[in-house]
Amino acid sequence: MSEIVAIPRSTADVVDAVRAAEADGAALRIVAGGSWLDAARPIDGGDRPVRRLDVRAVTGIVEYVPGDLTLTARAGTTLAEIEEATRPHGLWLPLDPYAAPGATLGATLATASWGTLAASNGLPRDLTIGVEFVDGRGMVVRGGGRVVKNVAGFDLVRLTIGAWGTLGVITEASVRLRARPTSECSLALDLPPRPEALAPFLRALRTAPLTPLAMELVDAPLARATGVGDADAIVVRLAGNAAALAAQRRVLAALGAVREVGNACWRALATALPADAWTVRLSQRPARLAALWHETTARALDLDGAWRQGSIERGVVRLVVPAREGAALALRLATLADRWQVIGERLPLEAWRALPVPASDRLSATIRRAFDPLQLLNPGVLGHPVAASAPAHPWSLHT
Amino acid sequence: MNRDALARSLSAIVGERQVLHRPSELLVYASDGLPGYRREPALAVFPRTREELVAVVRLLARERVPFVPRGAGTGLSGGALADGSVLLGLNRLTRVLSVDAENRLAVVEPGVVNVHLTRAVAPHGLHYAPDPSSQAACTIGGNVAENAGGPHCLKYGVTLNHVVALTVILPDGDIVSLGNADGEDEGYDLLGTFVGSEGCFGVALDVTVRLSPNPQAVRTLLADFTSLDAAARATSSIIAAGIVPAALEMMDQATILAVEASIYAAGYPVDAAAVLLLELDGLADGIDEDADRLRTICLGSGARSVRVARDEGERTRLWQGRKKAFGAMGRVSSHLVVQDAVIPRTRLPDVLRAIALIGEREGLTVCNVFHAGDGNLHPNIPYNANDPEESARVHRAMTAIMRTCVEAGGSVTGEHGIGIDKLDYMPLIFSEASLDAMCRLRDAFDPARRANPGKVVPIRSCREWMQAPVLR
Repeated sequence: MSEIVAIPRSTADVVDAVRAAEADGAALRIVAGGSWLDAARPIDGGDRPVRRLDVRAVTGIVEYVPGDLTLTARAGTTLAEIEEATRPHGLWLPLDPYAAPGATLGATLATASWGTLAASNGLPRDLTIGVEFVDGRGMVVRGGGRVVKNVAGFDLVRLTIGAWGTLGVITEASVRLRARPTSECSLALDLPPRPEALAPFLRALRTAPLTPLAMELVDAPLARATGVGDADAIVVRLAGNAAALAAQRRVLAALGAVREVGNACWRALATALPADAWTVRLSQRPARLAALWHETTARALDLDGAWRQGSIERGVVRLVVPAREGAALALRLATLADRWQVIGERLPLEAWRALPVPASDRLSATIRRAFDPLQLLNPGVLGHPVAASAPAHPWSLHT
Repeated sequence: MNRDALARSLSAIVGERQVLHRPSELLVYASDGLPGYRREPALAVFPRTREELVAVVRLLARERVPFVPRGAGTGLSGGALADGSVLLGLNRLTRVLSVDAENRLAVVEPGVVNVHLTRAVAPHGLHYAPDPSSQAACTIGGNVAENAGGPHCLKYGVTLNHVVALTVILPDGDIVSLGNADGEDEGYDLLGTFVGSEGCFGVALDVTVRLSPNPQAVRTLLADFTSLDAAARATSSIIAAGIVPAALEMMDQATILAVEASIYAAGYPVDAAAVLLLELDGLADGIDEDADRLRTICLGSGARSVRVARDEGERTRLWQGRKKAFGAMGRVSSHLVVQDAVIPRTRLPDVLRAIALIGEREGLTVCNVFHAGDGNLHPNIPYNANDPEESARVHRAMTAIMRTCVEAGGSVTGEHGIGIDKLDYMPLIFSEASLDAMCRLRDAFDPARRANPGKVVPIRSCREWMQAPVLR
């Protein structure tokens, strides 16, 4: 299949690319940094040619008002560029999408990818206040705005974030920034030796007087790979004024032996994923995280080279499996999916088939048709490709 | 089906006493918290159980009757007015269905009063964080419909950040689950789309909310300023300093005078041009250092004094004055317009000056009481709605204020919703293509256009609503 690459430089160029695809009977695969090309299911254009629409050149910070803690940037702007712009003012955009070096703002929002900072700062959906996108009919749509609080109209921002480009190509977004912590420290605690002690241990951590930036479970292989230690451990990232930091250290020390691990471990955790590894996220209510951890120990750790990371506040375990174990993982996913929510992040084709199809409910399908009636945008992603038939609504303004 | 027949069918589901059809009974439901509008419903029906609610919505679907969901009716944008359609009262559905203290979740019926939820979970050391000023009366279902805010959403986020799952009955009678309390959800954020949809997407049968642990410590401060400008500057400096107060509220002199003359007198300095009500919460260790920094920043920005509430009694009084400020304005005049606009925080000083000028020009008193930390303004104008000339001036002033806020880069509502009150302002901030996209989204939930017709998106943008069905 030959892929023609469209490289738009502006929102107007994106409109042209969408209209051209429509005219030519092609579908579009939307690409930015390319970190998560195979995630949320492979592209399936049916018998249509699939063109790459690379939005990396739709770039640049449009507006940044440090005093308002808001920033508007075009989709291809990288998080590193935003970091560089905001750092001198003591601010940051606390988005740290997992295993996505060079991540762009647009892709981070389109995929709603999150990392360890989500425990304290929320998901991409919580930090996005406005969005501009080009829908599958080539219309430029804006939702939200540039102020931190806004309930005007129906929420097109929430709808677009995490829609994997299937409702529109994100071309610009406004986000809320936060003050960068002036002092922080990272501590590790070893897990209690007896497995049955893990649940009460995690409960004690969740109910302790702590306000961590992040609090993660890492298993022994990951601990070794990231310089945290040699055994399963919990890594806690603390921030605050001196008194608050000291008090939280005391709280942690009362729960177990605490050691300083250095803040660099967070970057190591975010970049530990090998380019060819498979990953899934498994989740349940946070109180069941210990059970989930034990189950992944039983069902996945025999896979050679597998490792796990658990987000304590979110009740999520990320399971990482080397590429050579893809078939074995695929076999086990159906069983895991019976007991836990399982979300694929990067999987071989046979493994996707073991998972429930997201956005396949009637409401989601109707919404998808309303925004992309011809299924031009990332067909196959987030759901079954649907026959490209639905006409625009008869009462639409733009037919 | 005509009105009487429909009343009989509804009575068969919920009992005769739960269906109102006499004009004298319906009068009560002709307005919500914004008394400038009156729209009389054809009927009002009040299901008492989930089963009754489902049966009512399905009957209305079968008979193709438009309806308007309503909680406590405290909304401030005319969003719960049923003009010739059926008013669906949800305030009899008041059960807290379950509490999962360990995971900090509760499942409630939509008619649970906001503050009742906090009381119900208090034994677990938890509370429900969103706290609109009307929290003693407003319902969780109404909060979900409006994506309500409140003073503490500066730190804790709006209603949306505290709802993890919903069971919803769509206008066609289908029941769907949105969001997920049992782990991560994948696919479109239908939950986030539903919250704040102002009753246009369906009716919540139950709401799963996230609860927050009670903070170890709280400090409430009152900073007293001789100029609005200085108070606005202090607000920006606090946020820029990286302190996230639980709340950061501003009241101007007109508001202070109204509060201090009322039964809600809180001891605010009546000669101040503005006060900031600041609250810190969190860990006990370090909170006094942060409180000292707040005090230093306020004094450095020109505050005359900063006082810290000594005890719970003083704290409650300081908050009571703020939360009942709208009520206190009832002493000033027979009617009150409570406006709701948002601006970038850094534009507070010039926008407040512009609002004062607009008030002077129209010969009106504008009272400002608002969430300064979010830039969420509430310019309020006490007036006499029975005086057409004064009403016209109020209308002109409000329009001018809204335009000023939009020109400053803001939005036309931060927490009250669009309802019918702000329909005309929507084209100020959204293009026709964006409004059309909202219509298409609405149509996915309610293709027959029967849920809260005529609200949120101006009719000219959604041509199909030109002839919203009416039951007479």
